Amino acid sequence: MSQQVTLTIDGKQVTVPAGWTVVDAARVANVHIPVFCYHPKLEPVGMCRMCLVEVGLPERDRATGEIVRNEDGSPKIRFFPKLQTACTTYVQEGMVIRTTTEQVARARKDILEFLLTSHPLDCPICDKGGECPLQNLTMAYGPGTSRFPYEYKLHLEKRVPLGDLIILDRERCIICGRCVRFQAEIAEDPVLSLDGRGRATYIITTSDPPFDSYWSGNTTDICPVGALTTTDFRFDARPWEMHQAASLCNLCPVGCNIMFDIRREPELGGRFAVQRVMPRQNEYVNEIWICDKGRFAAYHFAQYGERLTQPLVRENGKLRPASWREALERVAQAFREAGSGLVTLASGRLSNEDLFNLARLTDHLGGRKVLDTFLAGGEWTDKVGLGRESDLAALGEGDAILVMASDLEEEAPIFWLRVKEAAQRGATLVVANPRPTKIERHAKHVLRYVYGEEGKVWEALLAGASEAAQALARAENLVIFYGQEGLDLATSDAVARAAARLLLTTGHAGKPNSGLVAVWPRNNDQGAWDMGFRPVADLADTLRQVKALYVVAADPAGDDPHLAAALEGADFLVVQDLFLTETAQRADVVLPAQAYIERGGTYTNALRRVQRFFPAVPPPEGPQPDFAIVAALARLLDLNLEGRSTAKGFEALAAQVPAYQGLTYKDLARVEEQFPLVSREVLDYTGTAYPNGQGLGVVLPNAVERGETVAPPEAPEFPVRAFQGLLAVPITRLYDRGTLVAWSDTLAPRLPEEAWVWVAPETARDLGLQDDATARLEIGDLAYTVRVRVNPAVPGGVVLVPRSVGVVLFTPVAVHLKAVVPAS
Amino acid sequence: MNAFYERHKEEIERILAKYPPEHKRSAMLPLLYLAQRDEGYITREAMAQIAEILDVSVTEVDGVVGFYTLLHDKPGGKYRIQVCTDLPCALRGAEQFLHQLEEALGIKAGETTPDGLITLEEVMCIAACDKAPVFQVQTGEGLTYYENMDLEKTLALIAEWRKKHTKTPEGNSS
Repeated sequence: MSQQVTLTIDGKQVTVPAGWTVVDAARVANVHIPVFCYHPKLEPVGMCRMCLVEVGLPERDRATGEIVRNEDGSPKIRFFPKLQTACTTYVQEGMVIRTTTEQVARARKDILEFLLTSHPLDCPICDKGGECPLQNLTMAYGPGTSRFPYEYKLHLEKRVPLGDLIILDRERCIICGRCVRFQAEIAEDPVLSLDGRGRATYIITTSDPPFDSYWSGNTTDICPVGALTTTDFRFDARPWEMHQAASLCNLCPVGCNIMFDIRREPELGGRFAVQRVMPRQNEYVNEIWICDKGRFAAYHFAQYGERLTQPLVRENGKLRPASWREALERVAQAFREAGSGLVTLASGRLSNEDLFNLARLTDHLGGRKVLDTFLAGGEWTDKVGLGRESDLAALGEGDAILVMASDLEEEAPIFWLRVKEAAQRGATLVVANPRPTKIERHAKHVLRYVYGEEGKVWEALLAGASEAAQALARAENLVIFYGQEGLDLATSDAVARAAARLLLTTGHAGKPNSGLVAVWPRNNDQGAWDMGFRPVADLADTLRQVKALYVVAADPAGDDPHLAAALEGADFLVVQDLFLTETAQRADVVLPAQAYIERGGTYTNALRRVQRFFPAVPPPEGPQPDFAIVAALARLLDLNLEGRSTAKGFEALAAQVPAYQGLTYKDLARVEEQFPLVSREVLDYTGTAYPNGQGLGVVLPNAVERGETVAPPEAPEFPVRAFQGLLAVPITRLYDRGTLVAWSDTLAPRLPEEAWVWVAPETARDLGLQDDATARLEIGDLAYTVRVRVNPAVPGGVVLVPRSVGVVLFTPVAVHLKAVVPAS
Repeated sequence: MNAFYERHKEEIERILAKYPPEHKRSAMLPLLYLAQRDEGYITREAMAQIAEILDVSVTEVDGVVGFYTLLHDKPGGKYRIQVCTDLPCALRGAEQFLHQLEEALGIKAGETTPDGLITLEEVMCIAACDKAPVFQVQTGEGLTYYENMDLEKTLALIAEWRKKHTKTPEGNSS
């Protein structure tokens, strides 16, 4: 516990940790000190002068050092002769702050008058109008008029694209520098700067590419005026026209807490539609930030994608619309006949309630539950995952974090942020990856290995000989992240086992703030593992032999032509999805599902925090929620499943799945005061992020905490790859051409247009390839035309292939890469 | 590393050695002056190369160049005459002086004479209010102050510079 300091602000006593600023202390004391440049997540700079207050300290006798007292015995307070910036003044014992004096009121009025000398006052057409700190503070503290001659107003550019997603209005900018500091301090991508001085100071970017940070949207939240707007929301709606629905981002396993702002949309026939995605505070997960992928693609697929609207059944070789009754009866009959020949292939996009019902139905028929993924290890994250009440913010000095086989910012941007922050607080960061990644800047130890030789790293770590291994073993708390860099099912399974062994043998399993985290490819993969779904080593082989195949929220045919061919072997294929996917086009029955923004449920994130999302917009007519479809189907097969509500569904799940035992929606709805205090009433302090009134979620107990005996697994055998020539290795990039993000017009300019690969300069030379050349990539019986990008950070002898960018690659294999001679 | 580094390798290493490696961005101002000596202003290429040497973004370098009035990102004359026209100087006739000079040279403040010799600039306080009209002259060599100036003295000074630069036929000496 850090040292506490008690001070008085406008007569209220408040006790806060030493090291806090007066602004933060006042916020906690519910005294409003207005700010523009200060932000509790950024270093204070005292630039805008809005937070000027009177500061007094107990007077000390110069000779004795004793506190001088008034006649009544109270300490005599000596006030600084001039006003002080509360954002750069740190609390001290006995400090007295006055914010309601004439002097302070005058200062605020003057600062606002200055700020407004060149502000355009175009509030009626400004996106920020209605949730604008400058507007609010002017109303609260500003002058009603200006003494400044109108003709001296500066007229500046109204539309400066800083990148593909963020537009700057120079007139509105008040040069608080929050965006500049956010990019430097938090995003660590300092592509914004202040240029010039005085009235000629502007925000600039001259980097190439310009402002294309994965974090750029957050600058629009903390911009205290309407200077920065997103291309997604610009001129779309006014803040007061919208209502809110709490949700979770479903594009990665972080599970960022978000808020959908919703309004009727003329362009969509007057339907209620999401207008924008805003971060919702959860200091255990995403703090008050979200990445651009979530902000600019989390709802578009549901709203703008070509959705299925009714069940389809195959007749005379063609899919035709059918009633739910007809479709479900067909499915039920086929499943009854298939019995244990049923395979349910589901993905971690589904909610826990959906997956639980699917698992029950599949078990009821004796079928097999298959998870559509390339990353294994979920049973180990259940056994030795982060313990109850874990909080990444608690990691610091004395703790250690290992990031293995993951380009963390690309795979799960918020995890990159949280790990970086832990390292900045003093946690020892060990990064093991075959090529440098952004998180490495903060690493104490970097363990470089050759793709495919993950086993060697673990051999060394488990032997405990190296300095890095000892740092991990010695740490008070140890968190191990493993991700998607070059891993396939077999290797990731071995990595998870090795990591579990390390945690168990070094005494780090089963306690809070220690444990194993898999950076899953999907938002609810952990939930899918928990509900009993497991990947299979040879999916094509499995699919070929099924009697009935139930594909839910997955598209094997779209993912891989080999799987498409394997589907031919399935006697009966049912697809439940939002879209008429490649797989759905081959189905005997297609069942239309509701999108997650149209219904509620829970997801379990990679930290094993179970969190709730809520219905945001009314569903289109036709589609049903997945859990309800499964329940309706189950009824026809004499099984009673909960199909009425997700709350009931979660209750049923919590009664049966050990890790979820006893949990209710009420538990997930628990909130607590989180610092910084976020409020829509005090927008100047934290920005337009929403507070969390809907629940922070609950971290599941791991098996050790549940009292199960978890013996350390044997040191695993890593698969050995014998190959010759060039090795193609799958990696993950945040911006891919995944089926969900592809529907976002906003993000479209940032998504890769064509398949590309990375190779080292020496590899390119050996293959006779130039940077940016078009090449032919041959993988087994498949061939692709790819753009070659030469990257000195890539090791030689490999071709790095981003997943979901046009090339099908689930496991490292030997390939051929040849230059394509242009036909001309 | 890059062309700028290769050109000034020794000097750059000497500058970098003054700062702790984890704070090498502190070497930005000395490197910018070095770059400005090359061309009389800091080229975009030089900014990119300095960014690479210091491991910062080119936007950050740009911001520093933009902040300091003695760093220039556009070409100018060999001599930059920087006249202070702040209030105390204005009271001592600095504005009239600037206008006279503009007229005599046939350029406005912010412009460069056609022969590329002189750029006239208006600056904020240079801390010599009592000796206004006052200007500083910035060249690749550094800054020189000229106090209690009038048009006549200034034109004489300019004539001297002009002579110096027409002596060598290449016109390239400094």
